[in-house]
Amino acid sequence: MWSILDRLGDDPFTPQERDALRAAVGVSSAGYDPWGFNLETAERTLRVIRYLYRDYFRTQVFHPERVPEGRVMVVANHGGQIPLDGMILATSMMLDIEPPRLVRGMVERWVPGLPWFSTLFTRCGQVVGDPGNCEELLRRDQSIMVFPEGAKGSGKDWWHRYQLQTFGTGFVRLALQTKTPIVPVGIIGSDDTYPSLYSSRRLGKLIGAPYLPITPLFPWFGPLGLIPLPVQIHVRFGDPLYFEGDPDESEAEVERKVAQVRASIQGLLDEGLSARPRLKQLDRWARLGR
Amino acid sequence: MKILVTGAAGQLSRLVSLALAEQGHEVLGLDLRPMRHRDFPGPFERVKRYDHRQVDEVFRSRAPDVLLHLGIRAGGFQAEARQRYTQNVLGTRHLLSLCRRNALDRVVVLGTYHVYGAHPNNPTFIPEDAPLRAVQNFPELLDAVELDHTVTTFLWQHKDEIPTVLLRPVNIMGPHLRNQVSTLLRGAVCPRLLGFNPMQQFLHESDLVRALVQVLEGSESAVYNLCGEGEVPWRRAIQIAGARELPLPHTIAYPAIRLLSRLNIAFPEHLMDFFRYPVIISDDAIRSRYPWRPEVSVVDTLRSLHDVPPDAPLGRSNVAS
Repeated sequence: MWSILDRLGDDPFTPQERDALRAAVGVSSAGYDPWGFNLETAERTLRVIRYLYRDYFRTQVFHPERVPEGRVMVVANHGGQIPLDGMILATSMMLDIEPPRLVRGMVERWVPGLPWFSTLFTRCGQVVGDPGNCEELLRRDQSIMVFPEGAKGSGKDWWHRYQLQTFGTGFVRLALQTKTPIVPVGIIGSDDTYPSLYSSRRLGKLIGAPYLPITPLFPWFGPLGLIPLPVQIHVRFGDPLYFEGDPDESEAEVERKVAQVRASIQGLLDEGLSARPRLKQLDRWARLGR
Repeated sequence: MKILVTGAAGQLSRLVSLALAEQGHEVLGLDLRPMRHRDFPGPFERVKRYDHRQVDEVFRSRAPDVLLHLGIRAGGFQAEARQRYTQNVLGTRHLLSLCRRNALDRVVVLGTYHVYGAHPNNPTFIPEDAPLRAVQNFPELLDAVELDHTVTTFLWQHKDEIPTVLLRPVNIMGPHLRNQVSTLLRGAVCPRLLGFNPMQQFLHESDLVRALVQVLEGSESAVYNLCGEGEVPWRRAIQIAGARELPLPHTIAYPAIRLLSRLNIAFPEHLMDFFRYPVIISDDAIRSRYPWRPEVSVVDTLRSLHDVPPDAPLGRSNVAS
């Protein structure tokens, strides 16, 4: 049924790139990796997402050459209520980086319980956010995508747009343990796709979500309010950070390294916002709500 | 070595025994069921309803050096829980105590990966030291988990006396074996849950036989996961095995299967969870200790289900050594 999608647009990958991707991921004789990634399904999904990526969000990628070869940990700012930024970042690594790279995102622990979506996510290379999974992926030379702000970042309201929230520290320990370079990324535009005026934890609890955003369009306009605003998205890659040290070192020491990553992402955000004067101007209004 | 093989009336024990006999070992069979195979390479003792004195006598008169305990799931899932508990858990405990009393050289027990339980939060590549979550959702698996604990406790308590190995293999498949999952895949229609398609691992019978033979000759105490070449989603597994899919919404499937399994006409309900959430285990531990590697790919393993009629007698030449 879904094979009709195979004719949508140009082929995203050449046959050589396909073979290289399969080899890099390490698929079994049946064509799947242990987490359930399957290149055919991922490519079909990519053909659909490409419209969103290229035509709807008109994504621009800056400094893709800064992403080093081999496994990396892509660490980015998080915003925009739903993980559109994760989708955009993963797509940019597939479409705008030479050679194409599969980067694994971490999904919430309740996602495996969702019919259909759980299967689609796993086929596209997403895994359940579990430290064991991250470690095993890096050990197998796979790249992962981390949003250290977590739900605090994606759930922040529009008044706090592009303001980095507190970072978790686990990702730096993991990078130290597996000697993986960290690539900081600044994503500009995603914080304005769903301008949440108020995030209600109480309403979120009712539907089993961490929060429920109230935007100018949602929930007032029903499903129409679910459509993200067509803000252009910029993805800025920073210079990779190579950390060395003991993964079991004190929290204070790890926090110093986390601060370095945070500062680097902050720099990319400042740089990116200066390049978008009209988006930056909106900050005058955002300040009113803080 | 003189090896006592339990569950000897089963196909798996027969395959292992044939392979062991070919290696020059002396094999002795023990089972609660009557022996059906004419080519079992050694004497056979039948013990009805696990009679302790009878088993004591087998150990006394035959004096085995090694116990290969394959008969741990006696009674199947249809048997009453208490009877299963007595046979599997208490029976195994008694067997292990006999091994100590008779100063055996090695014990190898075949468990199951079902003890990890199909849980949505399972990491991929579950290591041997992971918690056994099976009973969280299905108390019916209590005997499997208790048995696992019985063996691991014995293993650590007496590791200086008797080197013991507990294996936790994934779904074992092959032309000769009939277990819950292989029977489902051989059937005309095979159930799956709508919207769920978790990854599965399968181990070919010949790969398991080779692993058992290698582990029997080792001298360490350990718990090992065992899995096959690769992973494959359940729907794809059904397609490769050549069955027709029967998609069921999980809201209906669970109560329906619970009812049907009580009437002994369906598989146990806990298997449904394995069609919903992935349980992918890691076999790094056995790979780092033994040269064993799975040789049959996951696709060939599933295709082999139809290779020969499962009840056809098998010559020695068919057994992988």
